[in-house]
Amino acid sequence: MGRYIFKRGLISVPLLLVVSFLTFILNSLSPMDPAEVVLHAQGVPRITDELLEETRLALGLDRPLLVRYWNWFLSCLRLDFGDSYVTGKPVWSLLGPAFLNTLKLTIVSVVAIIILSIALGVLCALREGKLLDKSIRGISFFLTAMPSYLLASLLVLYFSVKLDLLPTNGMDTIGSYILPVTVITISYAGIYFRVVRSSMLSNLNEDYVLYGRACGLPERKITRRILRNSLQVAVSVFCMAIPIILGSTVVVENIFAWPGLGTLSVNSILSRDFPIIQAYVLVLAASFVIVNTFSDMINAWVNPKLREDG
Amino acid sequence: MVKKQVVPFLVLVVTALWLAGCSNSANSEKESSANSAASSSARDELVYSTAKDINDMNPHLYAGSMPAQGIVYESLVENTAEGIKPLLAESWDISEDGKLYTFHLRQNVTFHDGEPFNAEAVKLNFDAVQSNASKHAWIKLSSMLTETKVIDEYTVQLVLSEPYYPTLLELSMTRPYVFLSPKDFIDGETKDGVNGFDGTGPYKLTDHKTDQYAVFEANERYWNGAPKLKKITAKVLPAGETTFLALQKGEVDFVFTDDRGADSIDVEAMNKLAESGGFQIVRSEPMNTKMIVANSSKQDSPAADAAVRKALWHSIDRETISEAIFSGTESAADTLFSSNVNYANVELEKREYDIELAKKLLEENGWAGEGIREKDGRKLTMSLYYDVNSSSQKAQAEMIQNAAKNIGIQLELFGEESTSIANRRTTGDYDLLFNQTWGLAYDPQSTIASFTSDAAYRHTTSGIPEAEELYRKIGEVMVSSDEETRKALYQDILSIVHDEAVFIPLTNGSVTVVAPKDLQGISFKQTQFELPFEQMSFSR
Repeated sequence: MGRYIFKRGLISVPLLLVVSFLTFILNSLSPMDPAEVVLHAQGVPRITDELLEETRLALGLDRPLLVRYWNWFLSCLRLDFGDSYVTGKPVWSLLGPAFLNTLKLTIVSVVAIIILSIALGVLCALREGKLLDKSIRGISFFLTAMPSYLLASLLVLYFSVKLDLLPTNGMDTIGSYILPVTVITISYAGIYFRVVRSSMLSNLNEDYVLYGRACGLPERKITRRILRNSLQVAVSVFCMAIPIILGSTVVVENIFAWPGLGTLSVNSILSRDFPIIQAYVLVLAASFVIVNTFSDMINAWVNPKLREDG
Repeated sequence: MVKKQVVPFLVLVVTALWLAGCSNSANSEKESSANSAASSSARDELVYSTAKDINDMNPHLYAGSMPAQGIVYESLVENTAEGIKPLLAESWDISEDGKLYTFHLRQNVTFHDGEPFNAEAVKLNFDAVQSNASKHAWIKLSSMLTETKVIDEYTVQLVLSEPYYPTLLELSMTRPYVFLSPKDFIDGETKDGVNGFDGTGPYKLTDHKTDQYAVFEANERYWNGAPKLKKITAKVLPAGETTFLALQKGEVDFVFTDDRGADSIDVEAMNKLAESGGFQIVRSEPMNTKMIVANSSKQDSPAADAAVRKALWHSIDRETISEAIFSGTESAADTLFSSNVNYANVELEKREYDIELAKKLLEENGWAGEGIREKDGRKLTMSLYYDVNSSSQKAQAEMIQNAAKNIGIQLELFGEESTSIANRRTTGDYDLLFNQTWGLAYDPQSTIASFTSDAAYRHTTSGIPEAEELYRKIGEVMVSSDEETRKALYQDILSIVHDEAVFIPLTNGSVTVVAPKDLQGISFKQTQFELPFEQMSFSR
């Protein structure tokens, strides 16, 4: 097991290297002069050539690209991502809290998605082709297809403004989680419950089910077996949901004014805050790699066959 | 069969209960926090929404939110509708040659941290600003202020290298010549950051959570009496739907036009709030001019041709823009500066909305052909850039595009971020773009000074035949000490840019406030960037 983890970790190093290099290069290919971006971002009303030169020196932009990349990379290893162009604060002091906020939202949502997907998936698989199955699939199709900004606005209008039950935005109380989590859950559960359902269905036709029934095992026990086998497929799908949601909360965060990664990344892109964009991409790539490794580990742990192959 | 449904059903019920449980516990918690907003019984608090964080509040730099800096920091003098008035300086004398400014400071003023405000503090602040002069190139005073002398505890003298008439005006601006407690300086400087944000203003910053909120509490020791509104919260909310919903719910109860001239909700939403009965809408006098800027120096562009610029001007129906897009909240503008701006009450030829005249102008200057006109094989096509975050600019752009098509000009529209548009303005990579003047306190001098600046309107103005003369006159007017000469020079400057039609005015913008109906004392300053919160209070 230890060797397996080590191997997985080793593979991810070149991956992160490539990602970091690409982000750095792409950012520096941008036609905008970073010194000018910084001065604009700081709101300096009149930018003189002298000031531009000063700023370039201060940012170390006079050095060759590869040298800058190497220096940046070395400091990244120490979790020092440089200073934000706009606020001048260390990137980590902005990215850290935003990451935590989005992580909280993501984890609560993923838990809700898992519970809902399994519940609906099992229900639909057991009642395949019946009215219940059809109507759940129909409704979920409709809800998934609905853009999340529309769903979010409708929910806020009804539950916050009309009924005055929940806050419209922010993350001050536990109540603040309900609407954003609901929106994210509805958008994703509709997709993931189909995974559970179809894998349940394919298991239903397996020989062991027939054998179990032939032996007169209670239906409840058979269902439990099927569920356990079907969930293996779902594990990796659910695990990957974490980084996917981490990186795609932009719309929900924007509507609910959630001070997370989505808001920060979009603001940074709009104001060309390159150090934050670079760190953001790196952090997101790292979380993909980590969660992927983690899900492989769970599968390997559940299914010894995978371990031998790996 | 019934049994089979039991487990999933239970799961569903548990999930539902869990969600419901959350909402209950949340409700009780909500009572305490959310109610601190609009529905509070004390009625001495205000929560305003802002699309951008207040950011770095260092008053000697430019990253911070101006409305926020405006209530925390103060300057020596204040710019009012009746001219320059005392603020932290009670009075002042100007020497015969116009090079020495002696200020007599208000006594018994303290910074928020308890430090006394005196001549020494003025000197330390001004020296800190001057040591970072390259960042303050836009404010001419920074290049002329040679020394700040402490005469006695409450008297301070500014020494200028040459006489400069807008000195008091520039000292009145939100930044950089305002005062921070010297205790907050780092090694006697403010350019690399500060330790705190203690000003002398009516409010002090007591809490700030980046990208979430900032809290300002009344300065009970304020020299002009403690403000009645005890707490002002700036809540960061994205403009549009979110802000509108938060206003309806009462989590936010105040919005106003931001530093960049953008409103967080559109006119329709404002009217809806006012109709609901809980809100009032207050608008200031015209503060600035919104306009299209043409790049006269881009040789291969039709925008370099004065006839094209004039034709475009004639093709735009500004009255309809004012009515249809702004519901009459902004009035049509005929000149770069409205006549209530200093020195701008100048006779200029009015360019009416006149399609036929526009067509004639193009014909006469060789732009001919059916559909899109051509001249020397070159099509009459230009790009027009607008701020993608401004719904009104987009609507105007589309309307102007349509109008231009009628006279045979093809406009290609590009919505971009404000940073990107600022960058285009700097590099000259545009034909036409939306912009606005700096606003009352800064007009005309700052806007006109920026005609010569690369980062601002150099590309706009440098392509016209009279460019040399224009720049020379701008240089002269800034240092001229004679009122009549100044008037004449401004008249010439304004005539040149008007005749060349490089700035095509659209509407006169104002600051709009949406506030609770019972909030009184809502007024405006001479700048579009600040609001006097200290004068507001709730009626009992």
